[in-house]
Amino acid sequence: MINLAFKDITHSLGKFIITAMGVGMLLGIVLIMIGVYRGMIVDAQTLLDDIGADLWIVQDDTLGPFAQSSRVHEDLKDTLKVNPSVDKTAAFAFQNLQIKIPSGKMVRVYSVGYDPFGEILPINHEKLIKGRTIKRSHYEIVVSKKLGFDTGDKIKLGRNVYKVVGITQKTVSSGGDLLIYLSLKDAQELQFLYSNARIRNDRSRGIINKSSHMVNCIVATLKDGYNVNKAAKNIRRWKHKSVYTADEQKEILTKNVIERASKQIGMFTVILVVVSSIIIALIIYTMTLEKIKEIAIMKLIGLPNRTIIKMIVEETLTLGILAFVFANVFSHLIYDKFPKRVILLPGDAWMLFGIIITASVAASFFGVYKAIKADPTSAIGG
Amino acid sequence: MKDIQTGIKVESLSKIFGEGDNEVRVLENASFEVKKGEFAALVAPSGAGKTTLLMMIGCVLEPTKGKIWLGSEMVWNEQKWTINDLRKIRREKIGFIFQAHYLIPFLTVIENVTLVPQTIGWDKSRYTKKAIELLNYFDIEDKRDFLPSKLSGGQNQRVAIARALANEPQIILADEPTAALDMERAVNVVKMLKKITREQNVAIIMVTHDERMLPYCDKILSIENRKVITKSMDKTTII
Repeated sequence: MINLAFKDITHSLGKFIITAMGVGMLLGIVLIMIGVYRGMIVDAQTLLDDIGADLWIVQDDTLGPFAQSSRVHEDLKDTLKVNPSVDKTAAFAFQNLQIKIPSGKMVRVYSVGYDPFGEILPINHEKLIKGRTIKRSHYEIVVSKKLGFDTGDKIKLGRNVYKVVGITQKTVSSGGDLLIYLSLKDAQELQFLYSNARIRNDRSRGIINKSSHMVNCIVATLKDGYNVNKAAKNIRRWKHKSVYTADEQKEILTKNVIERASKQIGMFTVILVVVSSIIIALIIYTMTLEKIKEIAIMKLIGLPNRTIIKMIVEETLTLGILAFVFANVFSHLIYDKFPKRVILLPGDAWMLFGIIITASVAASFFGVYKAIKADPTSAIGG
Repeated sequence: MKDIQTGIKVESLSKIFGEGDNEVRVLENASFEVKKGEFAALVAPSGAGKTTLLMMIGCVLEPTKGKIWLGSEMVWNEQKWTINDLRKIRREKIGFIFQAHYLIPFLTVIENVTLVPQTIGWDKSRYTKKAIELLNYFDIEDKRDFLPSKLSGGQNQRVAIARALANEPQIILADEPTAALDMERAVNVVKMLKKITREQNVAIIMVTHDERMLPYCDKILSIENRKVITKSMDKTTII
């Protein structure tokens, strides 16, 4: 039996391919949106994974340091060592900054202040693509590649100038801002030390200048054999601090910090899938209307409905499959042009494929309905 | 009753469109017969019901009452179709030819001709042989792989006639098949239909407005005052 769908498609191949490309680009955007969501999840966990701590100790009754502001004393990292379960500790200071990049633009970055001589370091050596980590207590900085700096460049932050000593890649904060790394002392000065004018003003008001030896959190790794939940509970009761395990911290980031953003993207994705389905349905409906005379002739000369329905459904599925192929090509061509991380997973693509095939079959009902309703007598004039 | 030579038989056939004030009576108690091997012309003024009659015989439009036989089979009995699958009857027993060729534009000549036989379930060698035989007969075999858009009007009409014959029908219903053709081509088509009638023993009803085609027909069915009048070469009968 002649494959009517194949014959019809090849008869107007250019038009069919352009239509599939159009739908494919729309579906490609859906894949990108899913990729943006996946990227957000990975970005949210990048810093946590690079630090690799078992426990996060933050200001009591807060969800710090990423979801809420948190301040704890730096020396907590030493007193924690008294706990028999604690192996290594480190203090970190985090804050958002605006820096001027070589192109002259001001860019928002997320700074990670750490003790370069400490026990836990936040720079993953696999991500350090040029130069070295910080080796001095002051005026050295490691930056993300996307900022456009090279080693040896100078960056002014606050009152001081910092020398770029290392370049990293794929290092971003939970909000997707590029990371810069500073020594803890520099980060504390930037965050907690007031300007000279402010200090003088405070003194004249009788306010004594406060210590800048504050940090946003202390992280700790545990010795082998100790249960993280029990250790967290123990420190929580002992130090009157909020203590989160690595899993709890990830949950805070994915549930509290990026939840609304991910829901927003989810909504966009759902709307785009619905719009794509409606567009496919309209295309199939229009394609059927264009053939309604031929369909009437087919019915008149005795072709059964199943032959006509088969033609419409096969054309719809071909359109869906071709659009899916174009969607993948399109999304893979443009995904790395986005400023934030976009992760395209085969699983997501196959899930979209399932949705598109289901939507295509559902959409073909419009065309099938029109074909079934086509009056064979309309083929005859007079 | 009908005899073994019956191609098409219509008995007391009526068709009424609408109801009440909108009622339109198109045919009333029309009766006639076209035997196998007979070529009948159906003539009437525009709007008299020629196409309506053709569609009822072609199992496309429901009559209001009466009886229709196609060959030995009664297909309409007073109030209902006697068979469930009307399209099966159409694809297996009837060949349709229209005023325009109405070929499927995305199928080649040979695909158009073999479409119905393939649907019936003929094997490839049978429907291919039949199609080539018909295309040779109509002198368009060299155009077998062409799309209809690449053929002239006359060539397309010959392909349409080949399509109507490809399923070896018992009945051919032709709705003004010569209307779009010049005189020479129109005469050729009618001669061709007459030849097919004889050679393949089919019953043909051809709707036409062109009186010049009537001499080629065996009988003339004329719709006058909602009745069908059968006129033969030597007599006129009002049924």
